Amino acid sequence: MRSKFTWMLTLFMAFALQFSFAQEKTITGTVTDQDGLPLPGASVLVKGTTNGTQTDFNGNYSIVASEGETLVFAFIGQKTEERIIGASSVIDVQLVEDAQALEEVVVIGYGKQTKEKLVQSVAIVGSEQIEDIPAVAPQELLQGQASGVQVVNSSGILGAAPVIKIRGVASINAGGRPLVVVDGVPLNDANLSSGQGGQALNPLGDINPNDIESFSVLKDAAATAIYGSRGSNGVVLITTKSGRKNQKTKITLDMSTSWSESTDLFDMMDADQFRGFVAERAGATPEDYPQGGFDWAPNVVRTGLSNDLNFSVSGGGEKTTFFTGFTYKDQEGFIIGNNLNRMSGRLNLTHEANDWLRMGVNLSVTENRNDRVGSENSTFAPLTSSFLQTPWVEPYDENGNFVNTGFIANVIAIEALDINDSNSFRTVGNIFGEISFTDDLYFRTDFGIDRVLLEEFSRSFEINSPGGYGDDYVAQQNKLVWNNSLNWNKTFANKHDVSAVAGMSYEQTDIRDIFVSATGFLSDDQINTVSGSEPGTTINTVTGSRLVGYFARTNYSYDNKYTVEASFRRDGSSRFGANNKYGNFWAVGGAWMLSSERFMENVDWIDIFKLRGNYGTAGNDRIGDFASLARFEGGNISNYNGASGLRQLSAANPDLQWERSKSYDIGFELGMFNNRVNLSVDYYNKTTTDLILNVPIPQTNGGLNSITDNVGEMENRGFDIDLNTVNIRTPDFEWTTSLNLGINENEVLSLPGASVDDQGREFISGSASQRAIVGQSVNTFYLIRYNGVNPETGDAEWLDKDGNVTTTPTADDRVIVGDANPDFVGGFRNTLKWKNFDLNFFFNFSYGNDIMIDGLRFTDNPNGFFNKRAQLLDVWENPGDEAYVPSFSSSTFSTFAQRSTAQLRDGSFARLKNLTLGYSVPTSFLEKSGFLSGARIYFTANNLLTIKADNMDGIDPEVTDTVGNLGQGESFFTPPQSKTYLVGVRLNF
Amino acid sequence: MRRNMKSLKYIAKIACASLLLVACDNELDLAPEDILTQEVAFSNETTTLGVLTGVYSTAQQDDVLNGTNQLMGDWMADNIDFVGSFPTFNEIRLYTTLSDNGSIAAVWDDNYEAIGGANLVIKNAPLVDDPNFTEEEKANVVAQAKFLRALVYYNISNWWAQPLQVAGAGTLSVPLVTEPFEGEVSFPERATLGAVQAQIEQDLLEAIPALADGGDRTIASKGAAEALLARLYLIQERWAEAADYANRVIQNPNYTLASNYDFYNTLDAEHVFTLVNTAADGQDSGQGWSGLTSPVPTGRGDAPYSDNLIATFAEEAGDLRYSELTVIGTDALGAERPFSSKFPEAINNSDNAPVIRITEMYLTRAEANFRGGTSVGDTPVNDINALRARAGLTALGSVDLDQILNERRKELCFEGFRRMDLLRNELNLRRPGMPNEAASAPGQPKTIFPIPVLQRDLNPNMEQNPGY
Repeated sequence: MRSKFTWMLTLFMAFALQFSFAQEKTITGTVTDQDGLPLPGASVLVKGTTNGTQTDFNGNYSIVASEGETLVFAFIGQKTEERIIGASSVIDVQLVEDAQALEEVVVIGYGKQTKEKLVQSVAIVGSEQIEDIPAVAPQELLQGQASGVQVVNSSGILGAAPVIKIRGVASINAGGRPLVVVDGVPLNDANLSSGQGGQALNPLGDINPNDIESFSVLKDAAATAIYGSRGSNGVVLITTKSGRKNQKTKITLDMSTSWSESTDLFDMMDADQFRGFVAERAGATPEDYPQGGFDWAPNVVRTGLSNDLNFSVSGGGEKTTFFTGFTYKDQEGFIIGNNLNRMSGRLNLTHEANDWLRMGVNLSVTENRNDRVGSENSTFAPLTSSFLQTPWVEPYDENGNFVNTGFIANVIAIEALDINDSNSFRTVGNIFGEISFTDDLYFRTDFGIDRVLLEEFSRSFEINSPGGYGDDYVAQQNKLVWNNSLNWNKTFANKHDVSAVAGMSYEQTDIRDIFVSATGFLSDDQINTVSGSEPGTTINTVTGSRLVGYFARTNYSYDNKYTVEASFRRDGSSRFGANNKYGNFWAVGGAWMLSSERFMENVDWIDIFKLRGNYGTAGNDRIGDFASLARFEGGNISNYNGASGLRQLSAANPDLQWERSKSYDIGFELGMFNNRVNLSVDYYNKTTTDLILNVPIPQTNGGLNSITDNVGEMENRGFDIDLNTVNIRTPDFEWTTSLNLGINENEVLSLPGASVDDQGREFISGSASQRAIVGQSVNTFYLIRYNGVNPETGDAEWLDKDGNVTTTPTADDRVIVGDANPDFVGGFRNTLKWKNFDLNFFFNFSYGNDIMIDGLRFTDNPNGFFNKRAQLLDVWENPGDEAYVPSFSSSTFSTFAQRSTAQLRDGSFARLKNLTLGYSVPTSFLEKSGFLSGARIYFTANNLLTIKADNMDGIDPEVTDTVGNLGQGESFFTPPQSKTYLVGVRLNF
Repeated sequence: MRRNMKSLKYIAKIACASLLLVACDNELDLAPEDILTQEVAFSNETTTLGVLTGVYSTAQQDDVLNGTNQLMGDWMADNIDFVGSFPTFNEIRLYTTLSDNGSIAAVWDDNYEAIGGANLVIKNAPLVDDPNFTEEEKANVVAQAKFLRALVYYNISNWWAQPLQVAGAGTLSVPLVTEPFEGEVSFPERATLGAVQAQIEQDLLEAIPALADGGDRTIASKGAAEALLARLYLIQERWAEAADYANRVIQNPNYTLASNYDFYNTLDAEHVFTLVNTAADGQDSGQGWSGLTSPVPTGRGDAPYSDNLIATFAEEAGDLRYSELTVIGTDALGAERPFSSKFPEAINNSDNAPVIRITEMYLTRAEANFRGGTSVGDTPVNDINALRARAGLTALGSVDLDQILNERRKELCFEGFRRMDLLRNELNLRRPGMPNEAASAPGQPKTIFPIPVLQRDLNPNMEQNPGY
């Protein structure tokens, strides 16, 4: 506050005194880089004062100062220059590359490292890659951004939980999510919210993406071993925005408005088509059926209007840096009744108290108010029921009042009347202190919290639930984290760099919840369960976990050429069996900067050539709390007639332990042609052993479905490739391209104790359509092959196990038919800048994966009175017809929609994820306004275009109906992604 | 500077101490707050009774005794015109069931949960070391579990095996598991129908002496076990024993034929064994007794009367079993249809399950006496007339088997008896003129359930039924 005041005072003085003192004058000039290209955002400061400014988008600046004072010009990655003000009012400065500063500093686990000495595989996603992407949650920003990081948005519902896989599926039954750490605080990510037919909401949905400065995605064991028992799935480190020392206070206001709509919807029959179909099926006439009609699907979607506002102030003085941010978001989804409202604030502060004590705080508070809708397997879900609802059923009676439509609910009435709110309030942050003992050694302690308070409230009114229904669910998840570490950095004889960190970490997580429900409400005007006459469920539950870890890492580098690193962690967890509470994890790695060798000196076109390699282990603790115990539990499932009971839910396994992965990574980084072409390639191989498997067992064993055990091995291998090029670079025009590619192959190596198929292969059923099979992918589709309708007979035909045509296939005819895991995924970004315009287009893509559209078993089922896709009107009538549906009289008419490859599709796609056109207002124009230092107007379109297979009409390829590892690549009326158009303006003061 | 160095040392000490932080290790022994281990669950009388209560609770699932599979039988047969569109239910109506039918897989799963719970009690209750837990009390607990196990096996053995009359005692039924699951996974083969029925008989005969002969009709009692034994003997065509055991229950003063049809969802003496459901703890899926048979909007409106059943009631005017137990309501397709009102509370699905009621015993005694040429307790015509009198119909002078079965149908419709009553009498499940009549003949593949595909995937010893 004080520095801001001082700054304002200085500004005022500068204006006020401008005319009084002759030597005060306005200096202008241009700051350029070593190639003579303008450097926007370079800081210009009058030395010894807080009087400063930044260059505009053309590298121009303007500052008031006196003769004899010194101007300091600085830009990240460039050497800082100083100029004494003389007679001239124009000072142009060229900043050359700073070799030292080029060693970009990368955030890694419990520390930082320069890129040169990095032996780990870490993907950095920086602010320029994410600033134009309108996101609700942090994970969405990672989609397509880095090789080996696959993000699948599970649905188009606001707040839906994305699936992130780092270098493939590392586990089978244990959780596959990476650990997410914000400014050193590992986040809670248990699903507290309800599924409502589909998936629980994103457990990170209340982490504000606007606060994020950058991501470090830790991909290999060298990077993740220091997170020990939680490193196996990869780790995502999020660094939030901060101020910089001696920086002019920067005020940013970013406002945008967007419109979103659905990308894909099934084309369903209308009432007349439906009546015609069922009449022909029954040998009746359409008049025999109820008249009237309503097109449900188009009426449950809309164009959602959203507004976003972000305001931030950041800066810093000699001793203190700060960032404060505020976000307001008011978002409408494209499904009726789906809205999200967010308010979020952040304060990041550091202060150097003296030469040995530095302290700081990172704190964010977020309130999300999510007006939810059901999805997928729920008859209260707008999309699902709109596809299934018999199209002659209408939502209103003749007087325009809502009616109850029975089992397939009147979703329009539900969304118009009922309450379905999910509100969360989350506080994440830490305070830290750093104590320097010597110049080389400091101690750091930080104490962090992550508190999530969630309330889900629902109330269904008389017309939708006779008698009314209400429930309320409150859950709180509290995490405390305490990290302590000693950090040492020293350079000997100018050539030997040594760094080391050693420390401990303690985490405790406690989750409590309470749920009440009631029916029998007197009036729709009474909202809460207190007004219901018939209490339903009343429960509260408690769970928790404890984790203590000891870690160390040391890095030695000789002359910045040869680097070796070793890391270690020992973790103890309350989640594991009495006999295996502790586990050890470690990694070793090395790097060789070939380009610094004498023999490379003459190779002009190579700027950087670095080889890396490492090997190590990490673990996975995502098996839930208390999984090793034999559980006899009470509650509704155990009680009878007012007496409390006990029910066996699992058998004990005191030997249950970490799932562990061993992996190696070898790669190179190549910078060529003045670093205009940068290529990095990694090959990795990760073997997960002691897989935590819920081994399915025949239910004749006490009705239990599975036992939890450490069995089996799985391997992920592949390449991560990143290519960044500066294609054209002139003062007026710049075109850069970046391509990333993650090639992954997943193979189950062994599953001892699992079921054995008729080919002698062990397998685990992941869903009714897929299996994890030894020798195959963990997500292998295993289905009966559909062969189409025989044009001569009008019968639907399938293939039996041996490939012979049959009209009566059985489960014994299932074979391997596909894989839900893509051969490769990636992203392709082009950025073009011409004068004040910038154009950015970004594709993400997935190739070689199959998807199971499970909902087709319903929408393509010619029996019954659920609505059907319009394609079902194509019924075989005469020999020679190439029809979609078998003849009405065929014995296969009723079995046509059975689970088979008829519902399997090629899920490859390329999607124009983001297209942004921006215009930055020239500084010369801004100067006239007197207070603006930057202004940008931008237009963004998301998911504008999707290239996919022909038979994917009406189907979004980018969905999944589970966030688990098994059953990926399946959709059951999963709401598609939204297509969004956005216009925004960003102002800097 | 000097002062700084001093404080530095002080801080360094704190820092190093906190770094070591050995105390954290104790925190790892975090105990769950609501979970008991098996040792604790069988450590005393109270908790052991709790595990027994848990078996009743598993039996309370809709797939076990709360209506789902009972009503499936009524629409596989001729009582219910299933008009819902849910594919797995519809398959059963259409006789196109496939082995991946998820509703059938759930019936398998939930019934074996109940069997698993009963097995735990039967093995472990006698071993409980608690001086207050007497041998008689232990025997009673075991006997209740045996009754429940017998009841569940009776139901599922009929669903997964062709009837005795068609396929004989050697036909394959369900796996016979009588040991609890305590960590050792087993891969049992399917037992023969004869073996399963022998186990049911043995369980009930062993249970009867230890069960209470009191008036608590919400739990297993001597009368309930005897009644179930009569039900078993009837499908085994052991007429004398069927008549004898039915007669024992009828003679038991705890049970009396109700004077009217208000006894549903009560603890009236009509009931020999009824599962009590409440709003907070009742039918669990919305597709049990109440949900399926109640019209829209409270219920799903899936399971109205079939026209054939309406016609059967209409053969004699004034049958109170129709007029008193029928409500006109909206079906799943929006049409107005007659629905049973035996389970009208579809908001919370809290209607009790009528598992065994005394009326069945009159019908069983009548049929067994008729088929066996005896008149244990009373004559068939008197038994039938007792029921007809309550229904407001005139007394018959004599009865034949068709009339006995017809009364049985009208009394027990929507309660899950119809399918086996037809099959064991070697009658088609559908009447002439109804769809799928030929496919509904006894012995036809789709009159019984497939072994769920997942269970065959998991257990190579599990043979599939023909036609699946």
